[in-house]
Amino acid sequence: MAHSLRDIGFRVRVSADMEVLNEVDILLLPGVGAYPSAMRALHERGLVHYLQDQAREQRPIIGICLGMQLLASASHELHYTVGLDLIPGEVVPLTEPKWHIGWNTIECVQDDPLFGPSDGQAFYFNHSFMYQGPAEYQVCVSRHPTPIPSVIRRGNIIGLQFHPEKSQAAGKALLKNIISRLAHA
Amino acid sequence: MSDIKFCKRCLYSSAHPLGLTLDEEGICSGCRIHEEKDTLDWDERWSMLDALVKPYRNPDGKNYDCIVPVTGAQDSYYIVHLVKERLGMNPLLVTYNKYFNTPLGIRNLANLRIRFNCDILYQNINPISVKKITRSTLHRFGSIYWPILAGQTVFPVQTAVRHKIPLIVWGAHQGLEQVGMFSHEHEIEMTRRYRKDHDLMGHEADDLLSIFDTLKEEDVWQYRYPDDRDLNAVGVRGIYLGNYVRWDPKAQHEQMMREYDYKTSAFNRTFDCYDHVDCFNYMDLHDQIKLYKHGYSKVTDHASREIRFGRLTREEGLALVRKHEQAPLKYLDQFCEWLGVNRRSMQFLMDHHRNPSFWTKTAPGNWDFNGWSAQHSKNASVDPMRTDLPDIFEANDYLEYNHDSKYITIGKGWP
Amino acid sequence: MLKKRLVGVVTVKDGWAVQSFGYKRYLPLGKPECLVENLDRWGADEILVQVIDRSVNGSNPDFELLERLGRLGLETPLIYGGGIRSVDDGVRAIQSGADRLVVDSLLHDDLAAVRGLSERLGAQAIIAALPLSWNGEHVEWLDYRHGSSSSISVEVLSLAETGIVSEILVIDWMHEGHQDGFEQNLIRNFPLSGVPLIAFGGISNSNQMAELLQMPNISAIAAGNFLSYREHAVQKYKEALSGMPLRLSAYESKYPTLTHV
Repeated sequence: MAHSLRDIGFRVRVSADMEVLNEVDILLLPGVGAYPSAMRALHERGLVHYLQDQAREQRPIIGICLGMQLLASASHELHYTVGLDLIPGEVVPLTEPKWHIGWNTIECVQDDPLFGPSDGQAFYFNHSFMYQGPAEYQVCVSRHPTPIPSVIRRGNIIGLQFHPEKSQAAGKALLKNIISRLAHA
Repeated sequence: MSDIKFCKRCLYSSAHPLGLTLDEEGICSGCRIHEEKDTLDWDERWSMLDALVKPYRNPDGKNYDCIVPVTGAQDSYYIVHLVKERLGMNPLLVTYNKYFNTPLGIRNLANLRIRFNCDILYQNINPISVKKITRSTLHRFGSIYWPILAGQTVFPVQTAVRHKIPLIVWGAHQGLEQVGMFSHEHEIEMTRRYRKDHDLMGHEADDLLSIFDTLKEEDVWQYRYPDDRDLNAVGVRGIYLGNYVRWDPKAQHEQMMREYDYKTSAFNRTFDCYDHVDCFNYMDLHDQIKLYKHGYSKVTDHASREIRFGRLTREEGLALVRKHEQAPLKYLDQFCEWLGVNRRSMQFLMDHHRNPSFWTKTAPGNWDFNGWSAQHSKNASVDPMRTDLPDIFEANDYLEYNHDSKYITIGKGWP
Repeated sequence: MLKKRLVGVVTVKDGWAVQSFGYKRYLPLGKPECLVENLDRWGADEILVQVIDRSVNGSNPDFELLERLGRLGLETPLIYGGGIRSVDDGVRAIQSGADRLVVDSLLHDDLAAVRGLSERLGAQAIIAALPLSWNGEHVEWLDYRHGSSSSISVEVLSLAETGIVSEILVIDWMHEGHQDGFEQNLIRNFPLSGVPLIAFGGISNSNQMAELLQMPNISAIAAGNFLSYREHAVQKYKEALSGMPLRLSAYESKYPTLTHV
């Protein structure tokens, strides 16, 4: 992730330290593994309250893959776990097929200059749970084959279900677009 | 230090810098692929080559049919002979000019273009950039040859893109010929991956920029590989004649000596007189650095090749290696003068790159050698002082030709 | 629409990237990093690095290799296989830079660990590798450390059926490296339906690839040796497969020479 961002010209810091996080323009929340252990890790570092405060102050926050799911209210992965509740909605298992693995196109269902230029591009997905929530927070969907949310947004809080850092040229272009626009907002 | 294993047939070991595999019988991948030279139907393969190049011929003669990279040595004559005379194509010769040219090399290259009546493009990179790069790569990687390898492998590709001539015709594929990286039947083509991995020791031009503060983009951009998009737009493709012709450098050079007056020279550090006659350093300083870094040198490549062709026995090969590989340098002063370093600093730089697996320092200026030739099964019957070793290569001239032992950058070469 | 994938495979033995033929003959290629980086630049849909001499030597995963690959800054999903003996091994491999894992020996040695990996990392991160052969009537499963073949065990099949692993890598080990060699019966007669399969081993031409891509249980096709013979191999295969559900080919452009074509 850091390499992709540096490659397109942004400066990156990786940290769980609030003092460091306070100095940057945009917070990026990646995620690998399972929901309960990820939330536990955030609680242990005192980052749950921190992120909720930052969201209230309109600080841009981007969640990627599991990071996107953490933005929701709660998840049913393994056992019911409360999330950051920054974009209301629940995380539920995918239905047949049980995994979404591979390159899939995103379709914009709302007008949003952050994502419009990437409409119809393919990105790499690798997950088995999905966000379920109000339509107003869903910016893009992908077909599984039924539509599932691939990009969600509430204000300056953004969730990407796919991995832009693993999506080659399309991913780089999207990151560049989102971050440039959010940082100047 | 892990044990290196040796091929039972040739003189190569598992420590070969290109990689080498040994099978259950202890025979190496290079020898196994070499066996194909005596089992494949070369007439059939020639037909395949003919069919392959057919679409690239320009019937109206308005552009060159292909690009042929050449030097004043290295099978260039044979390649041009095959392309122009046997395949009937109209090639554009291209050559990356280096600073270490011998007068014989200049003469051979001039003779090449005149005897075969070909058009030729030269690329000369400015001396300050080349010396800056050479100083950095010598210091860090122990290499004096990066700019030459980079230039020789990229100038033809850049020319293909710029002049929209898609087909590049090379001779033999070094990985295939030395270590059997590919079968002849894989019909391997030129790739950027091979160049970065093996020709450039893992470092392309832009990698040098991030490693060395002293280098600027203006010093290295000329060595950049063309973009994939440009390569695809022109349809650039590099093929190897060695996949379609039974490649035998000794026999080929001798044919070119007879038919086209290719001239050759003896070397101290090897018994082969045909290759690398265009460079004062390849078989001299560069070869000694190879021995320091890898524990073996070019004479082992030559011996292994001749063993595989059945012209030397393994014992004769090993004896020739031991006879030549520690020979002293002849042209070190010229290099030091060119680069602007003194001999002591140069030796210090070189010693820094001696591989501890093969060299042990016993006293200041004194090193014990435990390289490949020393590690071969202690064969008491191999006597390095043998005087009855086969003398199968013929030198008909000298590197200096009719000049001094001085580098020539651009020379008249004719007559 | 979800595309099927063309996976580029890099086989590593004794620290070298190699060509592998029928699980017994090897030709050297070069540094694994150079091959992986090249596949990344070409736009392979996933890159699979399989280190084939770890389990045989009782070693754990090659974490140093993963860390070196991590420093390359790859932008393509990376799958790692070779020497994963426990949940900790798998977790550390992911932390070292892999996105998904392949397990082979572990399927013979410790199915509980496979389940543990799936719980910890998610089933989408776990692929079961099955080297298979066709004996004329049914599919047989190779235990490559002992060189013996038998039916796929009920337990392993159940792992796939119950969704502990997300995909199965079907390796036609006998035809590895052989032109046009892949045995399609391994897919047509695979004992389970409805489980996504990745075909690998002797897949060399676009006709074969098209036939496989049209099979419903195939989610991806993988090639190793055959991607090493020419420039832009990934793109050229994709272009020969236009009309198939694959992501389109792309050519990188960082320092363009031609201003118009």
